[in-house]
This record gives sequence, structure tokens and C-alpha cells, in this order.
Amino acid sequence: MEILVTIVIVAIIMAVAVWLFIAKQGDADFEFMVNERTEFIVIAETEKTATFSCEVAFVNKGSQDGTIMDAFPRHLLPYEQFDEVEVNSRMELATALRTDNYFEAVIIPKGTGGTVIVTVTFTAKTGNIKDALQNLYDLSVDMPIDIVYQIVARTPWYIHKARMIMTCDEINRAMQAKGTAKRED
Amino acid sequence: MAELELKPVGTRILTDKDNIVDMIEKYAKEDIGPDDVVSVAESVVAITQGRVARPEDFKVCFLAKILCRFVPQKGSLSSVYGMQSLMDAEGKWRVLFAMIIGMFAKIVGKNGVFYELAGSHAALVDDVTGTMPPFDKCLVYGPLEANRVAEEIKRRLGCYGAAVADVNDLKRALVVGASTGLDPKKLAHILIDNPFGNASQRTPIVIIKNYAAVERRTENLLSME
Repeated sequence: MEILVTIVIVAIIMAVAVWLFIAKQGDADFEFMVNERTEFIVIAETEKTATFSCEVAFVNKGSQDGTIMDAFPRHLLPYEQFDEVEVNSRMELATALRTDNYFEAVIIPKGTGGTVIVTVTFTAKTGNIKDALQNLYDLSVDMPIDIVYQIVARTPWYIHKARMIMTCDEINRAMQAKGTAKRED
Repeated sequence: MAELELKPVGTRILTDKDNIVDMIEKYAKEDIGPDDVVSVAESVVAITQGRVARPEDFKVCFLAKILCRFVPQKGSLSSVYGMQSLMDAEGKWRVLFAMIIGMFAKIVGKNGVFYELAGSHAALVDDVTGTMPPFDKCLVYGPLEANRVAEEIKRRLGCYGAAVADVNDLKRALVVGASTGLDPKKLAHILIDNPFGNASQRTPIVIIKNYAAVERRTENLLSME
């Protein structure tokens, strides 16, 4: 009986020790700092399209290295709200530029981070993009963009979203800076 | 006088739709001579064998979640999926046994015991990010029948020998399989500077030119002494 009790006590002590070790070790903890992103600017424009981009910093503030397996922007502009443009968006690491909308998995050591570039292209369904985006502004339509990212670290993979809003004011400011939007009276 | 020369050969991205020997023949045949040894990256051999798995496809057990915590985080087995892939390949009780013995060995100053006991897969699995797109989101296992693959390359290409090698930029080279008559340690030493480059999927083949000629000359010199 004493042996059995001893074995149980040793097993409990070992389990607690392992649990404490894991708790102390922690894990990766990612944050996309959407509230500190840069303002969208126009990077390309044609009669039918306008392309905007901004930079969003991210950080692994956890105690372990972590891997961003995949990340992409999910723009949300339903036609019920605004039906004059088609939207495309993509995201890339500032340190690994590519235009294929493929996010190469990357290890982010603990305490470090990086920057992603979010690119959004509006294409006018009819007419020109300048008028379409002016209408978007007149209707006061803001477009949410979720940065969706898949993380794997010490724990099983998970997907998080960080939401930012691409406001119509911001779009209008960017178009004005480019000299292609109607100015407010 | 012929000297050893390492000649990387580029290919398109190979997938499980490709046969590695066919691809070596397609991209490197004209550069391969009878005195040469053809080495090929083990991860690419594994990819052509379909030995790739997505983390999303694993069913992770409790033991994998615990044991991965005891692997330094730079290692492929430090993620739950790397550890689970090892358990799937070698058996979870074998891995647990290797981990316990490895820990005790480390306490007395002997490193690497875990990798010796946990099975060949332990040193060969590449975790996510370990390979180029489109396999960067996958784990890549070690190749199957590496010796047989090497023999097949030698037979088809008419070269002096062939090897399947795992080499990285951390000055670590391991010959996983080789055709008969080749010395794996000698080959590993030749490949230690990672001639495959960072993106070994782009240049998965390295031809070791004049290997046999240099070996013959060395033997002659030794016999003269």
C-alpha cells in the first residue's frame, strides 16, 4: 500500500512540475497593431481602377518563437451597401515583397515583429473610378478589412482576425492627395 | 588535373507528381559524367514521394503537446505537429522512452541521445517554413528507401555514385542514403557548406564533379607512400 501511495505522490509531483514548466515557458502571442497602421495612400490609378496601400506592424509579444503560417486581408464591402466597385485585396511582408497574394510562412522570434503591406484595389463596375469613389464618399461608406492570420507555435494552430476600417474619409483624402478627387466645399 | 567541383543544378519546383530520377535525368543528365557523384536534397526526394502533411491534417495527442515543450524551439520537433509526426512515424512510446533517456543523458552531459533513440525520422522531419512555397505550410518527412533511390539514380545516369543528403546552413550535413561504394561521411564533409543553397527546392541537385578521379588519385598517392 505504501508503495502505491508513493507512486501516486511521485506521479502528482511530476505532473505539477511539468505543468509549471509549461506555464512558465509560455507561448507565442501575436498582435497585428491595426490601430497604429499607416494611412492608406494611392499607389496606382487608371481610369477604371485605384489601388491603395498601407502598412500594418505586427509583433510576437509572447515568450516563444511562433510561425505565421498564412495571413491575408478579408475586405467586406457587400453590394447591398455599395455596388459601384469591385474590390480586391492582398497582403505581403514588407521584407518579402510579392504580388501573387501568397503569404510565405515565416518564423517570428519572440519579442520581434515585422510589417505587412495591405494593398486594396477598387475597380469601377461602370464609369470611372474617380466618380465611383466620390459616390462611396458621398454615401459615407466605410469598408472593414479583417487581417486574418494563422499561427502555429508550441500549441496547435489557430486563426485570429484583427479588424481595421478603411474609411471613406481616408479614401477621399488619398484621392485628393493624388489630385483626383473632388474637394469638399 | 581533375579537381572536385560542386555544381548545383536548378529545376522547377518538384511535387509528388514527379519522379526524382526522371527529373535528375531531365535537368542534369548532360552535366553528369562517369566520375561524378550526384547528390540530391532529401526534402525534395521526400516531396516527390508525397511525404508531406499539413498541420491541419494531424490529430494531435496529449503526449505530443507535452513532449514538444522539452525540445529547444529552433528544432522541428518543438511544434506539436513536428512531435506528432515523429510519433506517427516511430511510435509514441518509443518517442517518450527516447525523451526520458535523452533527458537523463543530457543531465550527465551527453547530447543527441534523444535523436539516436527516437528513430531516423527525428532528425529528418522539416517543420512548416522548412521548405519553399508551396510546401512552406507543410511538414516534410524524411524520404523512404533513400539507398534504393541513390542506386536508381546511379543506374539510370551512369555516374560513379549517388546520394540523398540533408544539408543546411548551420554546417550540418547528413547523407541519408547512398549508392554502394560511397563513404557517407566523406560525402557529408564535401557537402558541408550547403551547395544546395537556402532554397534547396530550386537547386535540389548538386553534382560532385570528378569525385572518382580525385579518389583514384588520392589512393595512388597513398599507395606510393
